[in-house]
Amino acid sequence: MSIQKPHLQGTPALEGGCPPSSEFCGRLLGGSVWGSFIFSWAMAVGPLGLHLHRSRQCQGRHGLLSSTAAEFDRASPAQSTSRGEVEILDAKTREKLCFLDKVEPQATIAEIKNLFTKSHPQWYPARQSLRLDPKGKSLKDEDVLQKLPVGTTATLYFRDLGAQISWVTVFLTEYAGPLFIYLLFYFRVPFIYGHKYDFTSSRHTVVHLACICHSFHYIKRLLETLFVHRFSHGTMPLRNIFKNCTYYWGFAAWMAYYINHPLYTPPTYGAQQVKLALAIFVICQLGNFSIHMALRDLRPAGSKTRKIPYPTKNPFTWLFLLVSCPNYTYEVGSWIGFAIMTQCLPVALFSLVGFTQMTIWAKGKHRSYLKEFRDYPPLRMPIIPFLL
Amino acid sequence: MAAAAVTAATRGNGAGGGRAGAGEASGSRKKKGPGPLATAYLVIYNVVMTAGWLVIAVGLVRAYLAKGSYHSLYYSIEKPLKFFQTGALLEILHCAIGIVPSSVVLTSFQVMSRVFLIWAVTHSVKEVQSEDSVLLFVVAWTITEIIRYSFYTFSLLNHLPYLIKWARYTLFIVLYPMGVSGELLTVYAALPFVRQAGLYSISLPNKYNFSFDYYTFLILMMISYIPIFPQLYFHMIHQRRKVLSHTEEHKKFE
Repeated sequence: MSIQKPHLQGTPALEGGCPPSSEFCGRLLGGSVWGSFIFSWAMAVGPLGLHLHRSRQCQGRHGLLSSTAAEFDRASPAQSTSRGEVEILDAKTREKLCFLDKVEPQATIAEIKNLFTKSHPQWYPARQSLRLDPKGKSLKDEDVLQKLPVGTTATLYFRDLGAQISWVTVFLTEYAGPLFIYLLFYFRVPFIYGHKYDFTSSRHTVVHLACICHSFHYIKRLLETLFVHRFSHGTMPLRNIFKNCTYYWGFAAWMAYYINHPLYTPPTYGAQQVKLALAIFVICQLGNFSIHMALRDLRPAGSKTRKIPYPTKNPFTWLFLLVSCPNYTYEVGSWIGFAIMTQCLPVALFSLVGFTQMTIWAKGKHRSYLKEFRDYPPLRMPIIPFLL
Repeated sequence: MAAAAVTAATRGNGAGGGRAGAGEASGSRKKKGPGPLATAYLVIYNVVMTAGWLVIAVGLVRAYLAKGSYHSLYYSIEKPLKFFQTGALLEILHCAIGIVPSSVVLTSFQVMSRVFLIWAVTHSVKEVQSEDSVLLFVVAWTITEIIRYSFYTFSLLNHLPYLIKWARYTLFIVLYPMGVSGELLTVYAALPFVRQAGLYSISLPNKYNFSFDYYTFLILMMISYIPIFPQLYFHMIHQRRKVLSHTEEHKKFE
């Protein structure tokens, strides 16, 4: 599966200001964040995650995901057979792997995959790619046997996609990491900085603020993964989790190290800079969340319609007028805000890398919108209004 | 590794400067190759590079004869070495615009590692310039590059002498480890001076809240040779078997 997943989304709605002492602020924050983290983690990666994954499998396409071009139904009317037969061959060796007889013509590919799993249990449906041509495209789970251009005996070619892991699991893991890791640095657990700094607290307000922002960003992402996003594809290759987690966790540790360092230097322009940057951050987080909600509402659960996203009553969604993927625009904005607020070069680099990746995704998404819809608004650019 | 990486046929079947591929075995697909203008340019590029590295080779020999020893020969060929090795950056461009069917990422990695060694190590740490390890990798690179660029030149002109192909796919067996040793020893020699001078390093506190330790970076770089070198080396060995045996078969039918 070559789905490009949007890595950086999400915006946490920021809570109010800090209680009087920054120490107390830190501990209260720490406690509540730890609590919610452990709770949501236990909830999510357990059966709930699996349940969500299953119940989501049939739900509509997540507006953010998939840069694949629109695939129209293959409506070639094959001969209607009363009871079909399906033989499954290995796409590489052409070895006959399975023969299914008495298959209902209305059977879907998903059902055939389930039947195939019975004879080859190591190849669960998520890792099967069935196609009409060994080098062709994968058939979709929803495709109906009857509608495919096959004869009485359908010949399908099988390719093993490798071990799969559910999107939900990947998202939760890659987002829980930064949340947890940042806090390790924030609380200055031993062996990171010198021993005399163990469990001490920074005297700079901006450092506490940064921790709140960063933590809420990832809590928001976790909650969105659990309750907002609708994933079109259930799984991705297992190796992706290592790649993605290295990226997220690595950068989180790198940023957190400097921001929470005893020798951290606060922003050059002081409180002014911090306030401005915080405002940018908050606005962009709210914007990003608004877009996620708008995309979710775009397609009711279970249906398959693809629609052009349009601005709603929420002013944050008005960015749809200028941009195909405003969620990415807001995400970049959030991180730029965070970079200005912390005045930390690693944060700026993280923003840059994220921006590069999201631009690639946005361009792909934009291209598939253009392909699919003749009447797509011409003013829109992929990610940056008028520019990119 | 910079040496081997460039020798290595990670650039497909080996014609990095121009893949007419006609000199290759008949079994492989006939590649489209660049247009006539691009071919002309690439031929000129490869000829110039071959000449450049020959200049370096000649320079080394002459300096050796003049001095009577092989120590500190770097100084005699410093300028052409810098010029022609840095010029190889163009090869990244060639891949990017598509006149050479190689991976941009792979080519970048290969060229950048060479350029890094020349500028960020040998040039920057003057004390290592008189080390013998420098001669080790310079000689390895020189021989490799002369063969490689002439290989590309001939390939582009659809007339590849077997000797060149053989040389390209055989001499690496010695030159690659030789080059890698030279590189590693040079970096190792540079370490104390980097540490002492705090070269290219920035420490906290500073207003960008960033730090970088070049010394540690160099050590990590050296360590990275451990997984990368065997992979490239054995890939080349594998390529050698494929390419040279193919030609054998091809010859049989003539």
